[in-house]
Amino acid sequence: MITRLGNIWSRLRILCRGEADEIAIWFEESSIRWPLLCCGIITLGCGCYGATIGLWRSPLQALYSGVKFPLLMFLTLLTNSLLNGMMAQLLGLGLTFRQTSLAILMSFTVVAMFLAAFAPISLFILYNTPPLTAPSAVSAHLFIKLNHVVAISYAGITANIRLYRLLTMLSGNHKRSRKTLFTWMTGNLFLGSQLAWIFRPFVGSPFLDVQFLRDDAFNGNFYENVLEAMKQLLS
Amino acid sequence: MNESPAPNQSASSGMSTLDMGVGATLKALLKHPDQIVVQLQHDKKGRLITSLLFITIACLAGYGIVVGSFSGAEQLWAAPVKVTLGTFLSAFMCLPSLFIFSCFSGVDVKFSETRGLLYAMLTLNSILLIGFAPVAWIFSQSTESLVFMGTLHLVFWSVGIWYGLRILYHGLRDINAGNRGHLDVWGFIFVMVALQMSTALRPIVGTSETFLPVEKKFFLAHWADCMRPNN
Repeated sequence: MITRLGNIWSRLRILCRGEADEIAIWFEESSIRWPLLCCGIITLGCGCYGATIGLWRSPLQALYSGVKFPLLMFLTLLTNSLLNGMMAQLLGLGLTFRQTSLAILMSFTVVAMFLAAFAPISLFILYNTPPLTAPSAVSAHLFIKLNHVVAISYAGITANIRLYRLLTMLSGNHKRSRKTLFTWMTGNLFLGSQLAWIFRPFVGSPFLDVQFLRDDAFNGNFYENVLEAMKQLLS
Repeated sequence: MNESPAPNQSASSGMSTLDMGVGATLKALLKHPDQIVVQLQHDKKGRLITSLLFITIACLAGYGIVVGSFSGAEQLWAAPVKVTLGTFLSAFMCLPSLFIFSCFSGVDVKFSETRGLLYAMLTLNSILLIGFAPVAWIFSQSTESLVFMGTLHLVFWSVGIWYGLRILYHGLRDINAGNRGHLDVWGFIFVMVALQMSTALRPIVGTSETFLPVEKKFFLAHWADCMRPNN
């Protein structure tokens, strides 16, 4: 049991270090254990961090966000898995559908590990932020959102750099791996933004009730709202 | 690359690396930090860790008394408690992220080694603060400006933490670090957390009716308030 835990820990460290030559070997494994472990890490890591996102609004929002954040990651991966697999083959990467999903799953795992490690700092920031009832609640709400955007962006960028190195190792071609990664990122960001819109709220507005999903979750989309906000700004 | 050195000898000084009592640890931190790094990679580093923690707590408490001597009374015990507790809380909060950032930098390091290097960083910081303590005490007794004393303590702390971060980076480099960018980001995060911790635990230099503040403030907002002319 201890040896197995030690091996798992060793693998997670290799994943974080981004040692592409070691990681590439795992793609030959047929066992489902490693993908399941990655799913577990994502659930725990993103769940913990998701809880810190919602905690400022209320403990109930923390619970909702802790459930929704990992769900968002998994739904993005699952919904785009077919497209990502096809693009990998079309662009000459030579990965199977399973290997494509595993590569993206592992990059999400890196994100989850970073966010889990960042969770204590996130809680400390929360502790020092004026509460919901303070006169500066609006700016506190904005500050919290900005903090989380920065942390999640940093995790995402680092994970994608590792994914790029891995794809280059697997394909032996920088151009192909760059094109493939760009395509995956475009698709995942496009879909992920809309899924995040549907799954809102995560932080929770001080002026709205705590809800798992907003009443108008499926009414409108992220890009329409961005466009509307830009129109209002320019008018 | 990762072969352990000879168990009892350090290349730089010939001193025993297993004999890490308080005195030897102090000497090694200031003169031969590579000994500390080597010892932290051994399995038997309990004595070194104990020495590091003992020195850190003693030095921080001592410096805390100097900080509290500005206001006197309750601050003579409250300031050492807050300085020591605040330092360790900041460090433990940032420890998981230090490990992850080390991995991101390509460092093949165990969690226990990372923790040991973090302790070494705190210890060197606290030793330097004790070095500044007489200077801080002189100023404490000869000025009534809270802002001046707060700034002075921050400057001393910054010098200490700069050298502390240096030993941390050197230690991780010696265990084969590649890109240091992630570690620089972590250093920035740690400094921000520590500065905010000083605000969360206020007052440390001044006085108050309560042990901890009632109102939540960010570090810069608190300092801006302190520096207003009517304050």
